[in-house]
Amino acid sequence: MGRERTFIVTDPPHLSSGETVPRAMLDTMLALLPVTLVSVYFYRLNAVFLIAVCLGACVLTDVIARRIKGRRPSVSDLSVFVTGLILALCFSPLTPWWTVVFASILAVGIGKEWMGGLGWNRFNPAAFGRAGVIILAPVTVFLSRQFAGLGVRFPMSPEVVDSLTGATPLAMMARAELEIPHLRLLLAYPSGGGLAETSALALLLGGAYLLYRRHITWHIPVSILATVAVFTAVIGHNPLDHLLVGGLMLGALFMATDWVTSPITNPGRIIFGVMIGLLVVVFRVFLGPTEGVAFAILITNAFVPLIDGLTRRGVFGRVHAMKAAAAKAPTTKTA
Amino acid sequence: MSSGTFLGGIHPPAHKEATKGLAIEDAPLPGELFVPLHQHLGAPCTACVEVGQQVPKGQKIGDTEAFVSAPVHSPVSGKVTAIEKRRSFTGQEVLGVAIAVGSAEDQKATAYLEKIANWRETQPDVIRTRVREAGIVGLGGAAFPTSVKLSPPADCPIDTIIINGCECEPFLTCDHRLLLEKAEDVIVGALIMKQVLGASRVIIGIEDNKPDAIAHVTGVASGYPEVTVVGLHTKYPQGAEKQLIKATLDREVPARGLPMKVGALVQNVGTALAVAEAVLEGKPLIERVVTVSGPGVKRPCNLRVPLGTGLSHLLEQAGGLNAFAERLVLGGPMTGWAQADLGASVVKGTGGLLALDRAMAASRDEFLDCVRCQRCAQVCPMYLYPNFLATAAELKQWPVADREGALDCIECGACAFGCPSRRPMVRFIREAKAAVAEMQRA
Repeated sequence: MGRERTFIVTDPPHLSSGETVPRAMLDTMLALLPVTLVSVYFYRLNAVFLIAVCLGACVLTDVIARRIKGRRPSVSDLSVFVTGLILALCFSPLTPWWTVVFASILAVGIGKEWMGGLGWNRFNPAAFGRAGVIILAPVTVFLSRQFAGLGVRFPMSPEVVDSLTGATPLAMMARAELEIPHLRLLLAYPSGGGLAETSALALLLGGAYLLYRRHITWHIPVSILATVAVFTAVIGHNPLDHLLVGGLMLGALFMATDWVTSPITNPGRIIFGVMIGLLVVVFRVFLGPTEGVAFAILITNAFVPLIDGLTRRGVFGRVHAMKAAAAKAPTTKTA
Repeated sequence: MSSGTFLGGIHPPAHKEATKGLAIEDAPLPGELFVPLHQHLGAPCTACVEVGQQVPKGQKIGDTEAFVSAPVHSPVSGKVTAIEKRRSFTGQEVLGVAIAVGSAEDQKATAYLEKIANWRETQPDVIRTRVREAGIVGLGGAAFPTSVKLSPPADCPIDTIIINGCECEPFLTCDHRLLLEKAEDVIVGALIMKQVLGASRVIIGIEDNKPDAIAHVTGVASGYPEVTVVGLHTKYPQGAEKQLIKATLDREVPARGLPMKVGALVQNVGTALAVAEAVLEGKPLIERVVTVSGPGVKRPCNLRVPLGTGLSHLLEQAGGLNAFAERLVLGGPMTGWAQADLGASVVKGTGGLLALDRAMAASRDEFLDCVRCQRCAQVCPMYLYPNFLATAAELKQWPVADREGALDCIECGACAFGCPSRRPMVRFIREAKAAVAEMQRA
């Protein structure tokens, strides 16, 4: 019991919940596992290859982009894997690998690292990458010419190939002739859209897990889906057509709920979700069937500081206290 | 009237099982005490004894004229061996009086104050002076001089005395034990303060993880119609003054205001006991109960020790440390002070000494940027956005930190507890507080 024994000095509090960013990112990847498995079931090695290319490109971009800024890689917080996985799930299995690599560079290099790294990015990196390759279509066309003949394609079952080469459900829906039963879309269907568009149910399972682990709240997904349902019903569409096709589920559950790029107040989250829902329907109905969800999320991301500012609560004792104190305090009461 | 809780807060593991069933023990006296002359919020005392002087137990050894302060007394009978600066539990050098503890026979000599048996017929000012002369300060941790709290301005009448028996900090059980072992005295102390302030009632708030204490105190209080016992939700920081008032009275203390603005006075269980002892027995505040616990301690216990007892003596009574004890915390684990060594001594605000192991103790040396997960804003009992506040502080944007309510923060640490980026929120916010206060003075 000598005084010579010394101890580690740290700031209070000296306890912690044990929650960490890597743990939360791991949970998010776990939540994406069901839909990933469904997509691999349909698209076989094509899905595996696409996901691997996307994850690899994202990790490499992180390391290089951060080295340019003289910072250590941020791979250990695992957020780059979540970005990579979500981005991969946004792409169709027929997407050439160079487009996916380009999207990864946009997502992680510009969408995240150039904006200051995890925590400082205004826009959801995956949505940024996905929308970026559409806006920068000339670049992808250029890349396609450069790498023509270097495409990689693995065998798939004939039925899947059939459905892939036909019109996507999103395109069918845009022409108001969706012929696939809703139940199949909900459970499992190789839609030809993004990898995540193979099973709405698998995505809902993942979302439920994130809710259970308290990584997200219900406000954003519910307000997005409810807005889409109500808005499409009002304009005379079948809401289920809209809810079950395209990237809506992935966007509502996994991209719009991104901590960094969504509002921090619950009322703000509902406003945010309603805005996304409205934009999704506007894009889908009036602008054609291309990645309306990614664009809707990106545009609404830009409004987050404004929404936060409008919906913040007042400090304890600053808003209601003076009134309450005047009404209650000095009168003598008996218990 | 009572909602029993407040908005926000966290549920850290309680870790109270090791000591909550253990009666308070009187530890054997150490050979030497070091009694700091600045154990409280407010002005430090100057020594009023000399080196070599014999002091009986209870004699005043330090005092000051300042209003916001409290004198310091010799906790034992002994001999002053030094008046010097030593490092205190905060890491700062503090002037104090070293006393060589006299023999057991010597301890019979006491210099207590005069007893006030008929306190119900005694003038408030006499009691206030007594509380001041007895050196009583808040024993919950902040150590604010109690006599000051008992002297509100005329335009702030107090109608309710709240006795804080929440003990929301994990591990600590000293207030729990006092409620079980000294309920009568605690209630009398509360009634004395109620009389001083002309208040109409006393509410004793106890978290519902102490059902035995609630039952016992309710039984004792049944003899006093003006005393109510309220069971409160177990949630940290339920024992924070403003949160306790919100939970028991549903009154919101104005931002940066004092509880007296809403007619309430909050005192810790131990403080109420000290007031009762000072008035009825004339005994100054010279000892307190300290919970020594944590996985790194061999024999966790609740010890009554004289102020100035060295931490090493405290640990000896608790059977010593395990080899894996890695961190030593004075106070509760949420707001306490990490100790680099055993050099500090027990002061009036010391409720616990904890030895934590690696698995339990949280390091915030390596942290990430804020990821806006919003957990901190959800739990902040002051309704701040600790994420924005701490980031502004990290970037030294003091005006932003000011707007984010740096001065409203009560430093409870609830935000940092659940932060997945492991950000040292409290450290950042403390820096901001100092800078904002500096800015406002300029």
